Amino acid sequence: MYIDRRKFLEMTAALAGSSVMATTMPWFNVFNNPAPVGKNASDRVRIGVIGVGSRGRGLIYNLQELENTMNIEIAAVCDTYEPHYQRAIEQTGGNADAFFDYREMIEKVELDAVVIASPLHEHAHQTINCLNAGLHVFCEKSMARTLDDVKAMYDAWKESGKIMLIGHQRLFNPVYLDALERIHRGDIGPVTMIRAWWHRNTDWVFYTDTGGRGTPLDRQRNWRFYDEYSAGMITELGSHHFQVANWVLGNRPLSVMGSGSINFFTDGREVYDNFAMVFKYPGDIHLTYDCITSNKHNGLQVQILGNDGTMELESNMQFEEFPADPPGLEDLIKQILGGENEVIPIGGATWIPDAPLRLGGKYITPDYALDDTLLYLEGFVNFIRKGAAPEKLTNEGYHASIWTLLAEQATKTGELVTCPEKYLI
Amino acid sequence: MGTRFNAILPGLDYDEGDRVFLLIKREISRIEGKLSRFRRESDISEMNRAAFHQDCMLDDELYDIMKACLFGNEITSGAFDITLRPLMEYWKNNQNVSVPNDNWDNLRCSLGMQQIELSEAGKSIRYNSANLEVDLGGFGKGYALEKINEILVNLKVKCAFISFGESSVLAKGEHPAGGPWKIGINDYLKPGKSVYRFEINDGSVSTSSNFFLTDHGTLKNHMHVIDPFTGIPVEQCISVSVMAPSPVLAEMLSTAFLVMSDEKIFEVLDQYDDLEVIKINYESGKTRLKLYDKINT
Repeated sequence: MYIDRRKFLEMTAALAGSSVMATTMPWFNVFNNPAPVGKNASDRVRIGVIGVGSRGRGLIYNLQELENTMNIEIAAVCDTYEPHYQRAIEQTGGNADAFFDYREMIEKVELDAVVIASPLHEHAHQTINCLNAGLHVFCEKSMARTLDDVKAMYDAWKESGKIMLIGHQRLFNPVYLDALERIHRGDIGPVTMIRAWWHRNTDWVFYTDTGGRGTPLDRQRNWRFYDEYSAGMITELGSHHFQVANWVLGNRPLSVMGSGSINFFTDGREVYDNFAMVFKYPGDIHLTYDCITSNKHNGLQVQILGNDGTMELESNMQFEEFPADPPGLEDLIKQILGGENEVIPIGGATWIPDAPLRLGGKYITPDYALDDTLLYLEGFVNFIRKGAAPEKLTNEGYHASIWTLLAEQATKTGELVTCPEKYLI
Repeated sequence: MGTRFNAILPGLDYDEGDRVFLLIKREISRIEGKLSRFRRESDISEMNRAAFHQDCMLDDELYDIMKACLFGNEITSGAFDITLRPLMEYWKNNQNVSVPNDNWDNLRCSLGMQQIELSEAGKSIRYNSANLEVDLGGFGKGYALEKINEILVNLKVKCAFISFGESSVLAKGEHPAGGPWKIGINDYLKPGKSVYRFEINDGSVSTSSNFFLTDHGTLKNHMHVIDPFTGIPVEQCISVSVMAPSPVLAEMLSTAFLVMSDEKIFEVLDQYDDLEVIKINYESGKTRLKLYDKINT
């Protein structure tokens, strides 16, 4: 079996009205109950894209797919970097108005919403100004570079009455839809720990012709390396998995401790090339998280450890703690224990697993060809038409972003960090 | 090995059983790491990359394995062949292509174990065809059982039942209740019923078939076995089970007997005193059993 669009809709429909859907992932309901899409120009949702670098370019491709089905229009694009500015004009066939300054863009072009994929430290003022200008916002994760900026975005969103969604795309992934349901119904027993990691072997240099670390161009293009603009892998990678842990446990951490260093890529970058963290959640449950960029053996993973089983969410696999023996083998054991020796049908054609060749494991959900970012943007457009999005969806982004920065703080101070009251919502 | 593994170790207490099992598990991992073509770093993958038109040095273990495979090929008159994987891939990608055609013919002629040169003096191997790719899928489970048996002997474990996906089983010593282990061969059409019974002490039963079974009893990958003599997949839904003292021999023969004529099978049986062989044909929705009893030859 394979999850195509139809199967995905069946899955979301099957869970519609369930308590697990209502409490953990109400946004999936939008696929069963989409907003009507008018065909007229006046019904068109007009979107501007701020930041069209590597991620922004991908988001434009996603939005172009929606142009065919959802009556949206990429009305404007914006980037301060000339080559990307030019590339976005080409990518949109010259149909979108192009700007170097997003303020000018939102002033001059009539828009319903913006999609923001600029460097992390730019998210806050862009989001806040856009919300204040009456626009809905889809902002890439993580929310902002500082805790105060994250909270300011949240407050501006509350004040505006508009939609603000943060791009942790696993929130719209079909594997998580199935996994959350199974975890909540107790398939792997009580969850007692989460282990997650993101390991890669890459120098993570996006742009090589910048004149080297520390030059103004390098600070602008390879902004992920500079403390002023990013917390490196903590905000750019870890944030995804911190969101997943919060989501699975239905809670926020109580505290976090951690440590990080630069032990391999000593090229002048300011952010860690490796770190490890421990988050403590209510119920004495821990999330351990580590990240490294000089070894890729372990890849990336989120393991949900329960007393009866394990889920590996990044690889869509589920493992039982005590898998049932083959029927013949069970009979054989019974006979041995009972002192009998009768023939048992235990030989035959090779047994093979339904799932990939991983001993003992099976798929959580069938393989799928759906792009979770695309589904998220489809949800965003639907929510715009409906005028509102589930508050929990925004809160997922907020909590993940807050705890991402608290985790960074823990690694920098070596202290056990809790959440200051002013950031609690 | 791409399947499940079970071990029953009667008579051992928990700690002792755990210790034995961990040693077995470690050995299986080692073998898998060495022989799996799915692992890029395995010795087999390394050999497949390096051996075309140049001598590729083998360690003693891999040399012995390749020697055993060549022996298996020889005693089965070419039916046991570990080089046919590219043909399997060909049929996977060209299901509706009619043969003969040039691509298929060129590929078929470039494969076969005659393209392998094994040098005893240099402990090295050389492939004479660029298409050659060794796949030990029809050998590995038997070999693992052989090595597990060595562990059990060393640890003085007298009684055990070991199974790889039910198709390769090792029965060690006597059944704890006395007498031989009575290993029934499952009737695919009547799950849970035995179509035949092997009785065995210290030996192995290997079943090869041109289908696999999933948890739900559904048949998968029908026609994944290539007949080396014709170069096309075996279409009949059949399985062969071989009981032999050596798990490796049982494994190689069960694979080969799937594509061998009765006459050729009997020729092999004549060379051994301690083999028992059945072939089951599931065509037309019926279970037809054939017992190869060499007394009748």
